[in-house]
Amino acid sequence: MPGADPRAGAIYDLGYRTYDGPRLGRRAAILALYTFTLRGAFGIGRRTSAKIVPLVVAAFAFIPALIQLGVAALLGSRIEIIAPWNYLGYSEVPVALFCAGVAPDIFGRDLRYRTLSLYFSRALLRSDYAIAKTAAFVTALAVLTLGPLLLLTIGNGLASDDLPGYLADHWREFPQSLAAGLVIAAVAGCGSLAIAAHAPRRAYATVGVAAWFLVTLPLAGILVEIGGEIGRFAAWFSPFDLLYGAALAIFGHTPGADSIQARADLPLFSYLLLAVAHFAAAALLILRRFQRVQA
Amino acid sequence: MHVIETRWMSSSASSAAYPLYTPPMHVIETAGLTRRFGDVTALDDLTIAVPPGITGLVGANGAGKSTLIRILLGLLPATSGSARVLGYDVASEGPTLRQFVGYMPEHDCLPGDVSATEFIAHMARVNGLPGDAARERTAETLRHVGLFEERYRDIRGYSTGMKQRVKLAQALVHDPRLLFLDEPTNGLDPAGRDDMLDLVRRTGHEFGISIVMASHLLGEIERVCDQVVVIDGGRLLRQGAIADFTAATGTLIVEVEGDPAALADALRAAGLRVEGDGRQLLLPFDGDHVLDRVRDACADLGLGLVRLERRRQALEDLFRPAPEALHAGS
Repeated sequence: MPGADPRAGAIYDLGYRTYDGPRLGRRAAILALYTFTLRGAFGIGRRTSAKIVPLVVAAFAFIPALIQLGVAALLGSRIEIIAPWNYLGYSEVPVALFCAGVAPDIFGRDLRYRTLSLYFSRALLRSDYAIAKTAAFVTALAVLTLGPLLLLTIGNGLASDDLPGYLADHWREFPQSLAAGLVIAAVAGCGSLAIAAHAPRRAYATVGVAAWFLVTLPLAGILVEIGGEIGRFAAWFSPFDLLYGAALAIFGHTPGADSIQARADLPLFSYLLLAVAHFAAAALLILRRFQRVQA
Repeated sequence: MHVIETRWMSSSASSAAYPLYTPPMHVIETAGLTRRFGDVTALDDLTIAVPPGITGLVGANGAGKSTLIRILLGLLPATSGSARVLGYDVASEGPTLRQFVGYMPEHDCLPGDVSATEFIAHMARVNGLPGDAARERTAETLRHVGLFEERYRDIRGYSTGMKQRVKLAQALVHDPRLLFLDEPTNGLDPAGRDDMLDLVRRTGHEFGISIVMASHLLGEIERVCDQVVVIDGGRLLRQGAIADFTAATGTLIVEVEGDPAALADALRAAGLRVEGDGRQLLLPFDGDHVLDRVRDACADLGLGLVRLERRRQALEDLFRPAPEALHAGS
C-alpha cells in the first residue's frame, strides 16, 4: 500500500487535515443557503456586472421616498403626496424589474448548473432548499418594498417640527408599513419564483414574470371598466392592483375615486385574503416543483 | 490502520454534543434494493455489503452504478428494498447521514459565476461547518486538491481538470467518513487522470476516508481500489478483494516467433488442449510438465519462444467470455 504511513504523509502534505469540530446540521445548512442566495440576489460575491442590475433597480425604488423627504424638508411636512399607503403606486416599475431580473436566477442557476444534486446530497430536505431560497428572495425584495416605507415613516417623523406630537398621531404607520412591505414582498416574490421555477429557460422566466406584473395591469383595467359584474373581479388577479388594494386595507385608507379599487368596488379586506391565497398557491407550486425535480 | 482508529475515537468522544457516529462493520449495506424507471429496471434486487476502504463500483455504462449511488445519497427513492449507509437508514435518516458523506457527481455541477473559494466555503457551511472552520477548511481542501492562485477566479474559466478538482474539493471540505465518486476521471487527459487517481488513493489511504468510486474503466479500479463490487444489468455480478480478481489463473499463454499453428498441432498431437487467440496460444496449466512439453515442442520445430507465462486475470475478464470457461470441464 503506497503511502501507508500517515505521519510521513502529514510532513509533506499540510493541505488536508481531518475535522473533528461541530457539524451543525440542517438548520445551519438552511441558513447557509439563505445567506448565499441573499448575497447572490444583489450580486455580492459575484463579478461587478452581476451587481449592476439589482443595485441600480433597488436604488430606483428609493427615489420617490427621497423626493418626498426632500420636498417635506423644504416646505415642511404639510404636503404629503407620496406616503407609505400609496408607495407601491410609485415603485411598481422597480419592483417588477427586480423580480423579472433577479427571480430567474434564484432557482435557475442551480437548475442550469445542476448544483441541485450537491444540495440534495447534503443535510437538507428538498423542502428546506425551496424554503431557504424563497425566503432569501423575499428578503431581497423586501429591501425594495419595505425599505422605502420605513425610510418615509422615520424621515417624516424626524422632519416634523413636533416629534412627540407626530409620533402620537402617526405611530400606527410603523407596524402598518412593516406589514404592507412584507405582504408585497412575500406575494410578489413567491409569485415570481413560482413562475421562474417552472420556466425551462432564463429568458422565458424573465418574460413570464414581467408578463405576470405588467400584462395583467392594463388587462385588469379594461376588464373592470367594461366587464360589468364579473369583470370587476379582475382587480384581484393583477398583482399590482391586488397588492395596492392589500396596502389600502392594511393602512385603512379609502381608495382614490378614479383608482381601479374604487371602480371595482370590492371590499378592501378581500384584497388581503386574495393576497394570502396568492402567496399560498405560489408557495405550494414552488414546493411541489422541488419535490419532483430530478437532482 | 492507525488513522482510522483515531478518527473514529475522536468523533465518538464528541458524540455527546453531535449526532452519534459509531463505526459500522460495513459502510454500505443494501437488501433487495430495486429501482425501476417505467419499464426499465435499473437496479434489480441488489443485496451488497461493502466494508470500509476504497471500493470500486464497476459496471458497463447503464449497469446501475449511478442509480445505486443516487439512492444511497437519498437523491432518488428506491422502488423497493432498503439501504443503510454508515449505519444510517437512507430513507428515514437522510439529513443526519448526509452530514458524513461527500458526493462528487459525474456531471457538471459547479456554478460558473462564482470563484472556487466562494463556492467551496459556501458548501462547507451548507455541510454544517461554522464560519471560521468553513473558511479554514476551504483553503486546506483546495490546496489538497491542487488549486492555488486560480481559486479566486470565476469557475467558468477553469479547465476540465480544474473543475474536477473543485468537484472533489466540495465533496471533501467537510471531512466526510464516506466519499462517493462517480466517474472522477471523466473528461481528463492522461496526466490529469493520473493526478486524480493519485489524489483519490491518497485521500482514501492516508486520511482513512472510505471511498466508493464508480468507473467503467477497469484499469483505474485496479490502480486505486482495495475491493471491487461488479454490477451488471442492475444485479450483483461479483464482489471481493481486488487481489481475488487479478490472481494467476489456470491458463498458460504461449507466444512464439514463427508459425503458431505448427506448434499448436504439435502440442495437440502430444495430447494437450490448445486454443488459439491471435498470435497467442492458450493452454490449460495443470503442472510443470506442460511447460516442458511446450519447450520441447518449440525446440523440435525450431521456433523462438517469446513468451511463456501463466495468465493473470484482469478485471476485463468479468465482461467477456473467459477462455478458462472453455476448459472448465477438463
